[in-house]
Amino acid sequence: MPESTAQPRPRRALALSGAVVFSIMRRAYAAVLIVVIVWLTFLAVRYLFRSLIRPIAAPPQVMQLPTRLGEEVLRERREQWAALEATENARSPLAHYHRFEGWIEPDRFNDCTRSGCHLALPHARRKEVRAFLNMHATSVHCSVCHIQSADTPLPVAWYSLANGKPCGPPAGLRAYEFVTGAEERQRLAHPTGADQARLAALLREAAEAADGAPALRDLAARVAAVRVESEAFQELVGTVRTTLPEYFRGEYGAKLALYDPQTKKPVLGFPGTAAAVKEWLERGSTLNPTDRAALLVRVHPLKREQALHCSDCHRQAGGLVDFAHLGYPEARRDALFRPAIFQMIEHISSGQPMHLPEFTTP
Amino acid sequence: MARGDDGQSERGAQARRGRGPRPEPWLALALLLLCVGGVRAADPETCLVCHQFRGLSRFDAERAEVRLLFVQPEYTRARLGPHGRLACTGCHARAAVSVIPHEPVVPVDCTQACHLVNPTGLERRFNHGNVAAMLQDSAHPWSKLSELKFARGALLDPGQSLCLYCHDEPVFRDPTRAIPVLRTLGARVFDRCEVCHADVVPVDIEYYVRHIASRLQPARPTLELAQVCAVCHSDAQVRATHDLPDAVASYVRSFHGKAALLGDQTTANCLSCHVGAGQNAHQMFGHRDPRSSVYPSRVASACRSETCHPGANPRFAAAAVHLDLPISRGTWEFALAAAFILLTIATFGPSAIIVLLELGHILIERHHHRRQEVEQLARAVLQHPEGRRRLVRFTPSQRVQHWVLVVLFSVLALTGFPMKFADRAWAATVIGWFGGLHVARTVHHWVGLGLIVGLLVHLTYVAWTAFGRRPGGQPGGRRRGLIATITALPMWMDWRDGLKALQLLAYLAFLRRDPPTFGRFSAKDKFEYIGVFWGTVVLGLTGLLLWGASFSSHFLSGRWTNLALIAHTYEAFLAIIHVGILHIVNVILSPNVFPLSPATLTGQTPLAELVEGHSELVVQVAGELGMVGPGAATEAGHA
Repeated sequence: MPESTAQPRPRRALALSGAVVFSIMRRAYAAVLIVVIVWLTFLAVRYLFRSLIRPIAAPPQVMQLPTRLGEEVLRERREQWAALEATENARSPLAHYHRFEGWIEPDRFNDCTRSGCHLALPHARRKEVRAFLNMHATSVHCSVCHIQSADTPLPVAWYSLANGKPCGPPAGLRAYEFVTGAEERQRLAHPTGADQARLAALLREAAEAADGAPALRDLAARVAAVRVESEAFQELVGTVRTTLPEYFRGEYGAKLALYDPQTKKPVLGFPGTAAAVKEWLERGSTLNPTDRAALLVRVHPLKREQALHCSDCHRQAGGLVDFAHLGYPEARRDALFRPAIFQMIEHISSGQPMHLPEFTTP
Repeated sequence: MARGDDGQSERGAQARRGRGPRPEPWLALALLLLCVGGVRAADPETCLVCHQFRGLSRFDAERAEVRLLFVQPEYTRARLGPHGRLACTGCHARAAVSVIPHEPVVPVDCTQACHLVNPTGLERRFNHGNVAAMLQDSAHPWSKLSELKFARGALLDPGQSLCLYCHDEPVFRDPTRAIPVLRTLGARVFDRCEVCHADVVPVDIEYYVRHIASRLQPARPTLELAQVCAVCHSDAQVRATHDLPDAVASYVRSFHGKAALLGDQTTANCLSCHVGAGQNAHQMFGHRDPRSSVYPSRVASACRSETCHPGANPRFAAAAVHLDLPISRGTWEFALAAAFILLTIATFGPSAIIVLLELGHILIERHHHRRQEVEQLARAVLQHPEGRRRLVRFTPSQRVQHWVLVVLFSVLALTGFPMKFADRAWAATVIGWFGGLHVARTVHHWVGLGLIVGLLVHLTYVAWTAFGRRPGGQPGGRRRGLIATITALPMWMDWRDGLKALQLLAYLAFLRRDPPTFGRFSAKDKFEYIGVFWGTVVLGLTGLLLWGASFSSHFLSGRWTNLALIAHTYEAFLAIIHVGILHIVNVILSPNVFPLSPATLTGQTPLAELVEGHSELVVQVAGELGMVGPGAATEAGHA
């Protein structure tokens, strides 16, 4: 008698079903192998024939040179759009002479841009100020200037470009405070290893936020490398004081936005307007001017009649933004409150050209 | 801001500048400029106060382009390139940029004079006028450049400098590549120089060293240079208009180009050949111009330069750098490539069909009618105390040789395949595992040499075992002849194996009821074994010829380098697809042996494989052990 017949019935059934499952798996596996072999063979044979028949074309590494500064070019990082990680200095589009090795960090949490309504460089109308306004778009969310708020100062807070959530002041500002604040200056006169580690970490974080800024990274490495009680460390702290302001260029890895204390979230778009935005995108261009205007009101229900001006924020007393509360060190606040820049902007904003003084020429 | 209308002030301003109203905010700006002294030191016109922001841009909806007004401040502050010493108005019209908002951009004339300031504060006038004159006399005169029409549309804005076709903001290359000591000494290397050059003989040493170190290297990395040339030389419309081949494409697929794709900065770039000694990139001439470095009578000198192939024979230059097989019909190169493709299809094709059909049989679970019988016999033999040992198909020595071959082959494939497909993204990654192309290539050379040595060792082993067995090989004690000894080798493939392969194909194609039986080695095993012999000889010989290309040019024309490269690359491809697709399936992935046939590890062949592929061996061993009558083996052999 065969051994299997001696097995109890449930065991036999189990063995039988196991054999069936094994057989199915084995056959499925064979089918997958067939597909893979056929596919690989096809690729191999196609390659062989093409190598003899089709004239050679230059590969993407050579041909994907950006030819114009279309928006899609700038969305990508340098190594991607240039497709040349092997090169030291990838080329800019031909018509653009100056190099740019990076691009502003896209704000993936800004409802105004991610909805598809506005570009990351939204200001385009007034030649006098549009570029200056776009410059602010890298560190200030649209809500600060364009959404109504009765509070003074405005309830503004930082939010992270990595996750859209509220965050503390950016590393660059904290590092600047660390080397320029009155208390910190005293402490840095007799620094400890912890101070050194903190400064290096802040600088590294600031470099990361500023698109990898090699000079900052280098500075961080040097700060970390020297002996904390040495003269070299003090010299480096001085260098950090003078160098950091060069990196306050709106690349903080964070942005300022209106803050809603009730939800404890930054205001990154007009609340409750999803349907209106959808309608605008679908048929906004087909509407007559009256309906269009009405729909736009629904899209922007809390929009300020008049956006904020430079001097609304950039002033020492009565400014709408409390820069100290936002973590701007005193030295940085002083720079932001200097009247020269915003007075110049407001001057040209009024339609009058601004002639640079003769003595600025070499 | 009405204060700017003050009549006196305006008149004063007009008197000073000779134009336009001058509002009061300049006072404010003056304060600003005093406050940003750090920036001003590197940027005397304070343009970077605004232009250092990446966001200082706008989107031009009409042209669907970003108007990027950003200027990388580090370029000026750290003087990353020679133009870092220039003021913005060295290139841009002062009248256009000295007013905010700026006037419409006036195209920059690269030949206009600019001012360079040396450390003593003295200005020197400088211009690129000499370059314009050189270009005018070259293969790239202004008249040709200005008429270029591109398949991708205009690449420059109207009026922009034609220099932009090749140049962008020049950046110094990493000085430590040319002067490695800078890497270890850092800024301290300048300490001694500063003793004199800080004050006594003022020279900006750091700038000077970076400039010179950069000039000691090609202006651009090799691949970037190809990119520059490809702007025109790979553009379909430019090539059609000027009747040009796609020289960049053929370069990139060449030995040098592939090295460039894999990050080799020392390989020949376009300028290495097309710019002769004593000339510069602005003095390139057509290949029919006797002044050209690639003119037929001068091209050998270009190859044999001190930096490239100094020891080569002049006929080395017959090797084609721009070989494009599809447009080289009627040449030996084309014929050889075609022959290898036919060889690939003729050898890989049938093997692939057999493997696929075998898998198909597993899929439909088709078994020949004697399978159960052979399987029972195999089980019985395996349970016999002597049976398992007698079913071992590979001796320990053979297993060691096999695994040495596996390692050598794998390393050769890993280092060689990326060189063949250098333009694929994975190629650079794989080469990176080896620490760069130079290391990968060295490893490839020496492991290839190892493979040749391995073949010689194996031949010795074969000769030793074959001829060592001769005396006892014949029942009558007579020694076999040389031919008979060779044909008696277990891996020797004769007409019977061919016939069995055809019978196997017929069985798999449902044209026969039963498959043929195989002994210790099946026809597939023997075919693969011969393939290894053939491949190692072809790859070894051509590899040696390519490795010593300069040396071999003293005996062979450069054309042989082309032919060797073609044979090497196509044979390697054949080997890789055969092993990578079919052999791997046969010994690792096939359901009969998965996850790995232990035949080459322990010598034990899995039961399913014994039954399907080596039933003759099973019957033979059973017969030897007295488990079946001698007739059974014959029966199985004719099944």
